[in-house]
Amino acid sequence: MITVRGLTRRFGPVTAIEGLDFELQKGEVVGFLGPNGAGKSTTMRILAGYLPASEGAAVVAGFDVLRQSMEVRKRIGYLPESVPLYSELRVEEMLEFQGRLHGLSRSERRQRIPRVLERAGIADRSRAIIARLSRGQRQRVGFAVALLPDPQVLILDEPTSGLDPLQRLEIRKLLSELAREHTVLLSSHILPEIEAVCPRVIILSHGRIAADGSKDELLQRLGGGSYVRVEAVVGPDVAGALRLLASIRGAGEVRDRGRLGIHHVFDVACVEDLREDIGALAAARKWALRELSWRKPSLEQLFARIALDLPAEPEPQPLASSAPAAQSVGVQVQLPVAPAAKGLTPLSPFEAPQRAPASAAGPSAGPAAGPAASSDATHGPAASKSAGAPRVVYNLNPFDQGASRDLSRPKAIDEPPAQH
Amino acid sequence: MQGLWTIYRRELAGLFLSPLAWILLTIALFAHGYFFIVYLVGVTGRDLRAAMQLALAGDVFWWFMLLLPPLLTMRMISEEARSGVLEFLLTAPASDLAVILGKLGAATSFMGILWSSVLIYGLLAQLLGVSPDWIPALSGVLGATLISGLFSSIGLVASALSSTPILAAFGAVVLNFIVIALPSLDALLKLPPGHWAKVALGHASVVSQYQSSFGIGVLDSKHLVFFLVWTAFFVFIATRLLEKRRWS
Repeated sequence: MITVRGLTRRFGPVTAIEGLDFELQKGEVVGFLGPNGAGKSTTMRILAGYLPASEGAAVVAGFDVLRQSMEVRKRIGYLPESVPLYSELRVEEMLEFQGRLHGLSRSERRQRIPRVLERAGIADRSRAIIARLSRGQRQRVGFAVALLPDPQVLILDEPTSGLDPLQRLEIRKLLSELAREHTVLLSSHILPEIEAVCPRVIILSHGRIAADGSKDELLQRLGGGSYVRVEAVVGPDVAGALRLLASIRGAGEVRDRGRLGIHHVFDVACVEDLREDIGALAAARKWALRELSWRKPSLEQLFARIALDLPAEPEPQPLASSAPAAQSVGVQVQLPVAPAAKGLTPLSPFEAPQRAPASAAGPSAGPAAGPAASSDATHGPAASKSAGAPRVVYNLNPFDQGASRDLSRPKAIDEPPAQH
Repeated sequence: MQGLWTIYRRELAGLFLSPLAWILLTIALFAHGYFFIVYLVGVTGRDLRAAMQLALAGDVFWWFMLLLPPLLTMRMISEEARSGVLEFLLTAPASDLAVILGKLGAATSFMGILWSSVLIYGLLAQLLGVSPDWIPALSGVLGATLISGLFSSIGLVASALSSTPILAAFGAVVLNFIVIALPSLDALLKLPPGHWAKVALGHASVVSQYQSSFGIGVLDSKHLVFFLVWTAFFVFIATRLLEKRRWS
């Protein structure tokens, strides 16, 4: 339905897209993904016949977009990012206009307009003046306008931008319905959408195709990097635990992610799910497990990696990004005597309130004391009630979500008491 | 041409859906009526026919020509390019020429409605028992509408050139002024009689061409062609400019 060969577009000295090659079969739904300025809109504009390409050719529905522009325009429904509508017209007048432009007869218009309005979920506002519609409603009208001539190819530039989550969900539903009858090329930088709707994804970066394929293919080819996260109490012999984990069949590199209270966090790289094996190991060694999860990089991480030009072998979900001490690479042993220095890694602001109490509660408190201490910790002064407990520096600003709490301080419970 | 009629209808509706058109129409009709009275009573000594001719060819007429078409056409391309509607229009199955002609037709029709008010004055006179000369009056309205088309096409060129409506209106007024005032270059340069430039300027003078044809109720194909060719020239430029917007 769409064939693109060596498509290049320059704006003066700036090259917006360079040498794009891809093909869409009839009935395929493809998501165009890329950061702002990657060339998504430019490509779509060329396909819609708005912009001419500097080099290369594009064939849509069997017609060359440059030489047989009119034929192409009759067969596509193009919804630009800005959702252009005549704001002084009423919704049905706008559709009437679109129908006339596409040469629909009066009876066709009378029949199709209520149907597309219904389909786009805006039938109740058909008499409204477009200027008075909300962003989401305008988006729906734009959809209806694009759908009216029943095009073979739908080109939708950011069809869900500016919508609230509920509207987005509805549009997503609509998109998957459309996917059954039309060839759809849609762009977005919101990944869940693309993941939910498009079986195939083309990722653009700096005007080139960085990846093209189904989601799973892309993850396999570019990502890899699935791992099992283990969070357990392994006792002082961290090096031993690392060795044991690495010895599991199928396990790759084992990363020591440092300590969270009395728990130690490891990431065991693996291709298959090793949770059961690790669970069995933990049971055999009597490690108290707190977390055992199988993590795969999401398309989002993959996308972020491509967008940010990160190397292919990444740090999957870095637990500690700002503290260099905690970024242990490979099998790096942390000495049990000085865990505090590396100690607690700064966590994300949202995790902080739950983690903090464990450290505030003092050496005697196990993980079970967590919830009880939690209220103490958040109310600052109460934490100092337990005399002799390590001082914890907290920001008492009630509007602070915990971002500036100094979590590197609490150290006492980390110390294995017998050894000092 | 596919889409031309549709775009024309939408543009005309768009004009009448905006307050600007109504304000312009009110002011212009008021001024037009006022000057008609002045011509009728003060200038021509109650000669209805002469007054109607003056209303469609006098000094005030050219002021209308200078100012009104730019205000009608200023938004037609520049604003649509801004709001993105142009992208919709240029990806719809309608050629660039159809887009320009549709818009030009809408602006010209609006001006035609304005000029036909002179016919109402004639009708009133008829009802009061004084029969105006209908043929020259009709040819006057037709001519005024035609030449409004010429100035509207200049306005579209300005609108296609500019990024904002105000700039477009200003540019169009300047261009219109140049077109209207071109013959006075002759007086300014004090060209000798028979000089080629003087002859050329005389031929290119919109005002004198108009006043020797429609202004006195004469319909000559020579003048018709003159105005149509100039209009076609500016339509061509506007179409090219619209196309250029795709390239940049």
